[in-house]
Amino acid sequence: MIHFDGVGKRYATGVVALQDVTVRIAPGEFVFLVGPTGSGKSTFLRLIQRIERPTAGRVVVDGIDLGALPAAQVPFLRRRLGVVFQEFKLLADRTVADNVAFALRVTDADPAEIGPRIQWALELVGLADRADDLPARLSGGEQQRVCLARAVVTRPAILLADEPTGNLDPEAAWELVHLLSAINLRGTTVVVTTHNPTLVDILRRRVIELHAGRVVRDEARGLYQTAP
Amino acid sequence: MRLEVSTRPRPDPLSGAALRARRWPATVRAILDDAVGGLRRNGLMAAAATTTMAIALAVAGAGFVLSANLSHLAAILEAQVEVVGFFRRGLSPARQQQILEAVRALPDVRRVTFIGKDDALRRLQQTYGAMASVRSLLPGNPLPDSIEVRVADAGRVRAVAEALGRTDGIEDVVFGAPVVDRLVALTRAVRIAGGALAALLVASALLIIANTIRLTIAARRQEIEIMTLVGATAGFIRGPFLVEGALQGIAAAVLASVLLVAAYTGLANAASTSLPFLPLLPPAAVVPQTIGLIWLLSLAVGVGGSAIGLRRYLAT
Repeated sequence: MIHFDGVGKRYATGVVALQDVTVRIAPGEFVFLVGPTGSGKSTFLRLIQRIERPTAGRVVVDGIDLGALPAAQVPFLRRRLGVVFQEFKLLADRTVADNVAFALRVTDADPAEIGPRIQWALELVGLADRADDLPARLSGGEQQRVCLARAVVTRPAILLADEPTGNLDPEAAWELVHLLSAINLRGTTVVVTTHNPTLVDILRRRVIELHAGRVVRDEARGLYQTAP
Repeated sequence: MRLEVSTRPRPDPLSGAALRARRWPATVRAILDDAVGGLRRNGLMAAAATTTMAIALAVAGAGFVLSANLSHLAAILEAQVEVVGFFRRGLSPARQQQILEAVRALPDVRRVTFIGKDDALRRLQQTYGAMASVRSLLPGNPLPDSIEVRVADAGRVRAVAEALGRTDGIEDVVFGAPVVDRLVALTRAVRIAGGALAALLVASALLIIANTIRLTIAARRQEIEIMTLVGATAGFIRGPFLVEGALQGIAAAVLASVLLVAAYTGLANAASTSLPFLPLLPPAAVVPQTIGLIWLLSLAVGVGGSAIGLRRYLAT
């Protein structure tokens, strides 16, 4: 589903974010991407979304070689991806339902499908009764669940979450990861970057550890840190 | 390679291209809805931007009106310039008529008037009332018949005067050379200054409007960022902003037009009664062009400014 073949990324500033990264993520996998700040986790996700382009190697997502993808086709790639952000990125002046609908309305979704899909996504994240609230009336955990609903409402093949629990208390973080697992069980490939050892250690999913832009560990049922 | 909207886990039976073709009217509607929604949600910002644009447009329009009036004033002054040629005494009326026709045919000549010597004396007496009694002291009318020539372009006065001077039967030519030269320089300066002022005000209006649009777009950068990340096409993102820009441009143009028409009509009416010597252009002669300019500017800047303002946010 996601192939990185010898991928390197050097930014115009000279900073090397990734070096010779070769990773294969199969459809339906759940992957934790761990490593210290600046190790290249966010760049890894940005390459998948074609926000950045590699300076070496090849990135293939869902069978599409992103290096050969014309700019005009990038939006159609992104429609196959759902993204959850650490800082939520909700539109403060729109209701929960409008925020979720936003992803559908701006991507040519059939207007007749929008209502049922919003209902489905909000029920999935347990916020169907908060559809008419503005984000400011929601807790951090609830706001992140709205962000998750917006990410999955388009039924993406791949769900990317960049530090999704970074701004959440432990209980809300656990709820969110539980939801990510549930979505993964429906067949969606999930890639999560995190600094939260507890979640990684409890779930025991595939763990890819980056350090200074290189893959230093790739374990099928890994822990946050290598066992001593 | 063409990617299609993901439909997993329930595949859509329609191909992406067919889907988009079928939804094209819906997309246009969505863009219009988004534009109206955007204006409603950002009401205060939109109102502030529209007012700023309206004021900038009104100032640009005022610059244009001022420039047109200065040009009109210069034209009036120039129209006063005339060349007077004095006929040699004893010239037959037929020869005088020939000369009149010849002068009329000269390029740049707007009007030619024959002034008989009796008319000339009458004018002199009217102009200088104190000299009215001089006539009785003189044995006859000492003034010659003359010809008054008005030229179309004050800058051509000298050439017309020289041509008149070369004409057989014309004894002397008078046109106040230094005054005409100064007048030509003055009217040229007035025209240039008026044009420069109008251009400056229009340029300021453009900058203010472009900056206002840039600010309104910057205030909504998160919305644009989310759109790009969830897979909205550049056209879809641009659409509502361009429509909003055009709607704001139209609203600003209406406001500016009303403001300017009211102000200039009021001023022209007041001037015609209180300051009749101030030769303001009648509103009908300048207002339509000014409104045209305002509308052109507002639409161009509303749409163009939005497109340019969006470019940096659509880079990724």
